[in-house]
Amino acid sequence: EKKMTNDHLKKLLVYCMLCCTQKIIVQGAQTFQTKVALLRHVEPNNPKCFAEGIRDLTCFWEEDEERAGSAKQYSFIYTYQNENSSECNVTALPAAGGRILYFCRLSQTQLFVPLDIQVFRDGLLIHNRRLHIELFFLLDPPVNLTVKRTEKQGQLKASWMPPPLKYLDDSMMYEVSYVIAGTQMGQVEEVRASSEVILLGLQPGAKYSVRIRVKLDGVSYNGYWSAWTDPVLMATLPGDLDPLIVSLTLIISLILTLLSLTVLLSHRRFLLNKIWPVIPNPESKFQGLFTVYGGDFEEWLGYSAGGLCLRPAYFYSEELPAPLEVLSEVSLDLPSSPLPPKAKQAPGEDEKLKRIDSLMERWRETPHEHWLMDQLRVLHQLPGPQCSQLESQDAYVTLNAQNHSGEEPLDDILEETLPLQALFASGRTCSESHSDLGSLQQSSGSGRLSTQSSFEYPNHTWPPKGPGYTYMAVADSGVSMDYSPMSSSRIDYMGKGVIYTNEYRNEIPAHRQPIPFAF
Amino acid sequence: MLHISRGLLTLLLMLLEWTRPGRASPLRPICDLRVLKHFIEEAKDAEAAMLTCKEGCGLPEPVTVPQTKVDFNVWERKNAPEQAKEVQSGLWLLSQAVGSLRGSVTDATLHSHIDNSLRNIFSIGQVLRSLNFQVFLRAPCQEYPPPGVGVSGAETWRVSSASELLQVHVNFLRGKVHLLLSNAAVCQQGGS
Repeated sequence: EKKMTNDHLKKLLVYCMLCCTQKIIVQGAQTFQTKVALLRHVEPNNPKCFAEGIRDLTCFWEEDEERAGSAKQYSFIYTYQNENSSECNVTALPAAGGRILYFCRLSQTQLFVPLDIQVFRDGLLIHNRRLHIELFFLLDPPVNLTVKRTEKQGQLKASWMPPPLKYLDDSMMYEVSYVIAGTQMGQVEEVRASSEVILLGLQPGAKYSVRIRVKLDGVSYNGYWSAWTDPVLMATLPGDLDPLIVSLTLIISLILTLLSLTVLLSHRRFLLNKIWPVIPNPESKFQGLFTVYGGDFEEWLGYSAGGLCLRPAYFYSEELPAPLEVLSEVSLDLPSSPLPPKAKQAPGEDEKLKRIDSLMERWRETPHEHWLMDQLRVLHQLPGPQCSQLESQDAYVTLNAQNHSGEEPLDDILEETLPLQALFASGRTCSESHSDLGSLQQSSGSGRLSTQSSFEYPNHTWPPKGPGYTYMAVADSGVSMDYSPMSSSRIDYMGKGVIYTNEYRNEIPAHRQPIPFAF
Repeated sequence: MLHISRGLLTLLLMLLEWTRPGRASPLRPICDLRVLKHFIEEAKDAEAAMLTCKEGCGLPEPVTVPQTKVDFNVWERKNAPEQAKEVQSGLWLLSQAVGSLRGSVTDATLHSHIDNSLRNIFSIGQVLRSLNFQVFLRAPCQEYPPPGVGVSGAETWRVSSASELLQVHVNFLRGKVHLLLSNAAVCQQGGS
């Protein structure tokens, strides 16, 4: 039984040794492949050589599969200065991209002396190189990389174990790479002859990925940068709020809040109007419309069958009269046609008519005014031409200070006082109706109506010319006519503009029918 | 009376021993390798400058220089005194060889490099002395070799060009001198 136990133990030991050896071999092979891949990119010369320690040297080169031969076809001859040549056995391995990798490894080397290397293939020299082995170190990356937090913010301490190489530890330099995890933002710091470093200036509360690689410093020894170690993650201490910064922030916030409140309070009305605008109420413009007539506009106007309703409110309206375009001629016969029969109107409107008449009687103070109003009635009784919607059948009526009753002509009116062009000219079509400035067109004929056209030009202040007439401005809003007494002795600013008055003479052809005018 | 005279004699001998002329004060160990690295860099500069020289920069005759190769299997089998002896012999040979080159170089820039190299070799001797390594480099141009230094043998070889000489100079400093200083026992004990 003891014998069997010993046999079992021996077998187990051999098995373990084989496993360990296999593991070492596999790791070594991986390391070798890694270094070969690394040198393939950084070393342009052939053969590519590197020393992993102070006693070895590995050289390799690659050939295309087409040109490649067996390892025996190659000879690796090396010669130290002042010594005889020696040969190294060449080994072939498959490489990436369908290539063959040939390499030779020296297990006993001499440093600090020139070494000549020659590679032959079938006796033909294919590679020749001279080098100093101590200048071609390619070390394994450092091990046991540890990253710890320090007591201070924004700092990490990294420590590692250097490659275990005698005589070289004071000649090693390290490169520490630290980036914020998940980003490419980071820095690289160089460390010489030390196996730890404190990383400064890091972001508080951030997770950093730290890795390191090693190389000889190039004074006595030199070589290539090793492969990077596996990254180690570590987060820095979270940042503390500086009491001074906090207090300053609070004070500034308080000041800004007070300033904002002050501005808001000083402009509260404006802001309220902007945010919550008051719904305009037209009730002030239409006195009695809602209180007396319950919102019935027609009833308020007294408007029926195209008639016009004169309301006292219009006489003193604050609204600007609309620009007036005089588009038609009126036959100015003496009022012979009677007023529209009141019988045609609804019985309920008698009171309105009475009120209107009473108002109109105010105006009939002077004979010429009475005559003029009759003319107005005649005008509105006459059917007007079929004009476009832009035309207005209304006109401004001039209550001339002189006695223009009857057929007294108005020829004495100077042309200088007629800067406006009236559109009462005969033959004009509806499309010619427009408001503009110019000389009035005078026409002769029977039945003249002294009228004035008043236009609003907000940007012009043309003083009224001519004698001091009293006249009445008529504004037609399309719904009703607004008559407002005015005087040419003063310039009235009605809202934005100035009412500019002018006189013109007009003659309406006899063949034209009078414009109906109804109250 | 006899006892007093013996005491006085003893005291006198002690005083004479302390005041003996030529007794060097003990040097503080120089373990900082940055000094040697500085010398190595200047030796490299001299080698690089010599490579650009075309005329007036040759050796008048072949000179003997130390072997620079280091086989660690062999080096580690030597003890510290043997290593120190090998280093100091090599430094002496180099001082002689570089000194002869100094007389044949006419270029002013190269002349300054060579003078610098000679001063550095003497300074390295001072460093070795500070580390308790017995050095015989009392004068830069000592005529006779110190005992134990072989004129020809496995430890030496001959060069005939100035560039080879300066290359040997660089390799010797980078190799054996650096190995000796970096592993000095005095420095391993925590000295400065």
